Amino acid sequence: MKKTAFKLFLFLLPIALAWGCVEYFYRSVPNNYSVKYDYMEAHADEVETLLLGSSHCFYALDPEYFSGQVFNLSNISQTLYFDALLFDQYFGRMPKLKRVVFCIEYSNLSHKENTREDVFRKYYYQNYLHLDVPIVSDFDPKKYSLAFTRSLEQTWESYERYDFFGTIVDCNPNGWGNNYPKVYRYEPSYNVRERLEAHEDGSVDFSANAARLNRIIVQCKNRNVEVVIVSLPQSQLYTSGLNRKKLNLIFATCHQFAAQNDNVRYLNLFEDRRFTDQDFFDADHLNDVGAVKCSKVVDEFLQQK
Amino acid sequence: MLFNTITFAVFLPIVLVLYWLATQRNLRHQNVLLLVASYFFYGCWDVRFLLLLVFSTALDYYTGIRIYEAENKKHKKWWLMTSIGINLGFLGIFKYYNFFVESFADGLSLVGVPTHFWFLDVILPVGISFYTFHGISYIVDIYRDKISPERNFVNYSVFVSFFPLLVAGPIERATHLLPQIRNKRIFSSQQFNDGLRQILWGLFKKVVIADNCGVFVDDIFNHSGQQSGSSLVLGAILFSFQLYGDFSGYSDIALGTARLFGIELLRNFSFPYFSRDIAEFWRRWHMSLTTWFKDYVYIPLGGSKASKWLNVRNVFIIFLLSGIWHGASWKFVCWAMINALYFLPLLLSNKNRKHLEIVAYDRTFPTVKEVWQMVATFMLTVFSRIFFRADDVHHAFAFIKGIFNETLFTIPEMVPTRVLVLIAIFMGIEWSGRRNGYAIAHTLQKAPKPLQWSFYYGIIFAIFYFSNSGQQFIYFQF
Repeated sequence: MKKTAFKLFLFLLPIALAWGCVEYFYRSVPNNYSVKYDYMEAHADEVETLLLGSSHCFYALDPEYFSGQVFNLSNISQTLYFDALLFDQYFGRMPKLKRVVFCIEYSNLSHKENTREDVFRKYYYQNYLHLDVPIVSDFDPKKYSLAFTRSLEQTWESYERYDFFGTIVDCNPNGWGNNYPKVYRYEPSYNVRERLEAHEDGSVDFSANAARLNRIIVQCKNRNVEVVIVSLPQSQLYTSGLNRKKLNLIFATCHQFAAQNDNVRYLNLFEDRRFTDQDFFDADHLNDVGAVKCSKVVDEFLQQK
Repeated sequence: MLFNTITFAVFLPIVLVLYWLATQRNLRHQNVLLLVASYFFYGCWDVRFLLLLVFSTALDYYTGIRIYEAENKKHKKWWLMTSIGINLGFLGIFKYYNFFVESFADGLSLVGVPTHFWFLDVILPVGISFYTFHGISYIVDIYRDKISPERNFVNYSVFVSFFPLLVAGPIERATHLLPQIRNKRIFSSQQFNDGLRQILWGLFKKVVIADNCGVFVDDIFNHSGQQSGSSLVLGAILFSFQLYGDFSGYSDIALGTARLFGIELLRNFSFPYFSRDIAEFWRRWHMSLTTWFKDYVYIPLGGSKASKWLNVRNVFIIFLLSGIWHGASWKFVCWAMINALYFLPLLLSNKNRKHLEIVAYDRTFPTVKEVWQMVATFMLTVFSRIFFRADDVHHAFAFIKGIFNETLFTIPEMVPTRVLVLIAIFMGIEWSGRRNGYAIAHTLQKAPKPLQWSFYYGIIFAIFYFSNSGQQFIYFQF
C-alpha cells in the first residue's frame, strides 16, 4: 500500500504544481472584481451615487459623465442577488451616499440565484469582493481554490489576454466597462438570438427579487437615500423578440416601486429610440459612444429632483 | 455531489484514507464507514429523501427475513407481494402518478368526459429507480431460495446504498455484491490502480465527450424547427455519443471507485457501438438493467422457451417496461417500441444470438461487412433516440419530419469540428481496447513508464481543458 501511495504521490505532483500555477494566476492578476473591490475599500466613504446592475449597466453608465462622486459597481451577469449582497456590504460604509441606482432590464427581476450565470461568478464575489455568499457552501472546494472554477481552456484564454494586453481588467477606474468601442461594434442581428435565449427564463415570478428591492428601499428611506430604478436602452431587434407580456409586467412592477415609495423614482429607457443601432455594441449592450449618451440622459434624470 | 466535481475529488480521498487506514481494516468499521459516507453522499442532494432510502432499505431487510422464515409458500408470497407492492408504490407515486393520471384524463376527455384530477407537485428522489430495483432483486432471490437473507442491517444497507452505485447504478444483485460486503477486503495495488484508470477514462467520457457534445445537442434540439435536415441528423448522432459518454462514463467512474474500496461491481457497458445488430447492442448497453429485466420479468414470463408468439409478446413487454423505467412519458414508450420492432426480425429468424463475441476479436480491423453492420446498427439507435432526447412525442415527430427534405443533403450550418475530432480519437481508443473491460485497461501497459504516464497526463489535461462546467449526468433523472 505504501508503494502505491508513493507512486500516486509522484504521479500527482506535476498536477499539483500545475494547479499551483493556475491558482497563482487567479489570485495575483487583477480583474474587474478585484479592481472594484479595491476602489470600494479605498473610496466607499466618498461615494455619493452607487450604480448596480448587470453588463447592461456595466457598459452603459460611465460615472465620468455624472455629477458628483459616482461609482459603477455593476458587473457582467451580476444579478439582483449580488447587487443586494454588495449593497449590504457597503451601505453602512458610505456616509455621503445620496442615491443608489438599480438597473432593471428583462431578466433581472425573474432571475433565480445559483443558476447558469452564477456557476463560477459566485466564487469570484466570495473571493475577490469578499462577500459572504450564502449560495457558496463551506464544503465546496471551489470556495477555496479559484483554479477549479473555470476550465483550463478558459484559463488559458484569460492568460493569453493578459499576455497580450498586459491586463484582463475591462473597466476604467470608475468601474465602467470600457472594452466595447464603437469601431468594433456588431450589428444587433449578430447575436440577438443568443442574447434573447440567455435572458428568457420563462418565469414571471418576481417575488424574491422584489422582496430584495423592497428591503433595500426601506433601508435607504431610513437614511434618506434615494433609490432610482433604470431600465437601460436595448436595440429594437432585441426588444421586438422579447415576451411583451413579461416586459409590461416588469415595467409595471418598476412603476409600482416608484408609486409606493416616495424615495424611489423610475426611468424607463428600454425602448427609447433616441438610441439607434449605431449606439450599440451588439444586440443589447451600448458601445462607448452610446454609453456617453446614456450616461448624460440618466444623470439629467438624477439631477431633476 | 456529482462524480465530475471537485467536491467529489475531495470527498473520495478522505473516505479512502479513512477506509484503508483509520478503520485498521476492520470489516465492521469499514462497512459502517461506507454506510455513513454513502448517506452523506446521498444527503448532499436532498437530505429529505434520505429517509425514504432508509425506509426502503429497512422494509426489504425486514421482509427478506420474513420471506425466508415464513412457514409456507402462501406466507412467503404474501411478504414478497407486500414488499414489491410498497417498493413499486413509492416508485409509482414519485415517478408515474402524474403521468398515468394525465394520460387517463386525456383519454377521458377524448370521449367527452370532463375530468378533474389532482396532480402531485413532487420532485423525483435521485436514484429511486435504481435502489428500488436493488431491493426487489434481493427479496425475489430470497423468495426463489437463491440466497439467504442478510442478518446484519449495516451490511444490507451498504448493499443498497453503496455510494458509487446509489444514484445511477449499475443495478447490482445480492448474489454478486453482498458476499463482497460480508467478506474481508484485501488491498490490492493492481485493483487500486485499475480503479484509478477506470475513473480517469470515465471522466474523459463524461467531461470531454458527453459534455462537449451536449452543447451542440442542446442547441440543435432546442431549435430543431430552424435547422436543416443534415444538422438534425448531426444533432441526433451527437446525442448518441453524448448519451454513451455520459452514462458509460458514469458507470466507469462507479466501477472504478468501487474498485478503490476492493469491491467489484457488475459491468454496465461493453462497447455497444461496435455491435453488429440490435440484439448484440442490447447485450452490450446498460447490461445491468437488461439482465435485471431478463431475470426478473422475461424468464418468469416464459422467456424464450415459450412459443414464438409468446416470446415476441415477452420481448415487447420487456422493452415497454424498459421504456417506462426510463421515464414517465410517451416518448420513452415510443423509443422502447421502436427498439422492440428493430429486435423483432432477429427474433423471428432466430438470429438474435448471432454475435456474442466482440467484433474482430482476433483481428485488428473489421471487414467491410462488419463496418456496414456496425454503422447500420448505430444509425438505428440514433433514430430511436430522437424520441429519447426530444421534449415529447410531437417534438420527436417534428424533428424527424425536419430531417427528410432536400436540406438533408446540404452541409450542416454548424460543424463542430473539434467535437468530431475528439469523438474520432475517443472511438479509436475504444476500438483498440474493445477486448478489455474498459478501453484503456491495458493501453500502453507494456510501454515504458514515462510513456504510460504521459498518456494518463494527456487524458487528465483533456479533462481539465475541455471541462464544461460540471453538467448533470443524464441518467440521474431516471
